[in-house]
Amino acid sequence: MIGPLVILASVVHLFGGEVLQRILTVLFINLVMVLGLQIFMGNSGVVSFAQIGFMGIGAYASALFSMSPQAKAMALRNLYSWLVPVQVPFALAVIIGGLMAALVAALVGYPLMRLSGAAAVIATFALLIIVHTVLINWSEVTNGPRTLFGLDGYTTLWVSVAAGILFLLVALWFKETPLGLQLRASREDEAAAASIGIDIVWVRWVAFVLAAFITGVAGALWAHFITSFSPLAFYLPQTFLIISMAIIGGSASVSGAVVGALAVTAIFEGVRGIENALNIAAVFPFAVSGLTEVCLSIAMILILILRPSGIMGSRELRL
Amino acid sequence: MLSVEDLYAGYGAILALRGVSLQVKAGELVALIGANGAGKSTLMATIAGVLRPFRGQITFEGQSLLALSPEEIVRRGIALVPEGRRIFPSLTVAENLRLGAATRRDKAAVERDIEEMCTRFPILGKRFHQPGGTLSGGEQQQLAIARALMARPRLLMMDEPSLGLSPILVDEVFAMIRQLHKSGVTILLVEQNVERTLDIANRVYLLNTGRVECQGTPEQLRAQVDIVGAYLGDMWRGD
Repeated sequence: MIGPLVILASVVHLFGGEVLQRILTVLFINLVMVLGLQIFMGNSGVVSFAQIGFMGIGAYASALFSMSPQAKAMALRNLYSWLVPVQVPFALAVIIGGLMAALVAALVGYPLMRLSGAAAVIATFALLIIVHTVLINWSEVTNGPRTLFGLDGYTTLWVSVAAGILFLLVALWFKETPLGLQLRASREDEAAAASIGIDIVWVRWVAFVLAAFITGVAGALWAHFITSFSPLAFYLPQTFLIISMAIIGGSASVSGAVVGALAVTAIFEGVRGIENALNIAAVFPFAVSGLTEVCLSIAMILILILRPSGIMGSRELRL
Repeated sequence: MLSVEDLYAGYGAILALRGVSLQVKAGELVALIGANGAGKSTLMATIAGVLRPFRGQITFEGQSLLALSPEEIVRRGIALVPEGRRIFPSLTVAENLRLGAATRRDKAAVERDIEEMCTRFPILGKRFHQPGGTLSGGEQQQLAIARALMARPRLLMMDEPSLGLSPILVDEVFAMIRQLHKSGVTILLVEQNVERTLDIANRVYLLNTGRVECQGTPEQLRAQVDIVGAYLGDMWRGD
């Protein structure tokens, strides 16, 4: 699984153009996010809509620590004065981004982890909305609903590849740890898991915090790839994209995250190319837009009807 | 070892246990019988810590279990084989067994116990890497019991282990329980299959609508068969 990914990245690096390299970089960042979702949702069976909120927290937190004082003075006029001179190396800023996301998850996670099924979906969705509202209104650190700019583009293709492979290994490792096994048992049968002494809230909480850390790191990487963004980047379209990757690939396995990220990116970029071609050739008397979302939705519906456990189900590919 | 005193428990306004008292001594096989709705499963759930009683006391080896979480009660040495087996179907037999030791920290001893389970229940060794859901009903019951034993319980509670099994498998399950008891495990057994249960138990409690109707050795209970039969009707004749 890792071999083909590295070969794909190498081929694109050597022969692909700028556009293809950017697509692949985003693919690997998205892969990290799907892996975060897989660690929590795949092992616990509890659906979380909150992940992209953690991506946003990671993005903004890392930006505050990686930007130069001059850039902050330009982009964040109302920033707290003690934060302006703070600047740390990129790698450390990324870790801080992940830790901030994990901290928020740790604080709000414990009561949330008592929920499952529809209640968990609604509660985590509410958390996404809350995080989004805070990002939009906390102008001091986020520049409000306006675009935050002036980040350095530290995230290259190979940085994202390295992060993708690192967290792929983390996800595979976590699944087989005693805690991961207990979490999978609670997914199968909550009552039986409790009866053999598994503390379900605790094991879910650990996975939730770990997943938030990974998603925060992904957000930090993405922020230093795109270099300017607004809170709107961390909302429903991105949530939909990541969840569709997890579902299409199959959330019960780590391989499913990889296959899902690849498949959805292929669909997304393919359809976008078709859409552009249609518009340039003026085939229709109006501009075609939204085809990508329509196709993704159809793909997700087809998967849910034909293969509800995703392309991979619970099978794992060899490393 | 286990002592339940004047226990009242239920669900909302419904009182399922009305002053139940019960004792299990070390090494005993104590059976709990009674018709549907007598309160057997409620009593199990209350001892396991899943349900909080309204009134009464539960002590295990001299210490109260009342304020403890289910995990903590497992850690104190009480394991439950739940009704309907409740193994983890898509996890392998090996993983199911390992999960039984979720509350233990002694890794090397856990591995040794897994090997011992495979000797004691040879079918589990044969199916070691298969998903639990692919086992037959009787095999799953063995897995459920082995999983509970992995916690090294001092008291094993079994909730209707013969439920839903074919007559031949019911024989096997009762033979297995008798053997477990002989090997020194203290057992609290809930059963509907009264005849079979009286054959293997040291002492029996008969529950009826939330109260202990009568108790004693199987011989004493058999002597009261007329009284009991009146309450239990057809069920008394066994399956």
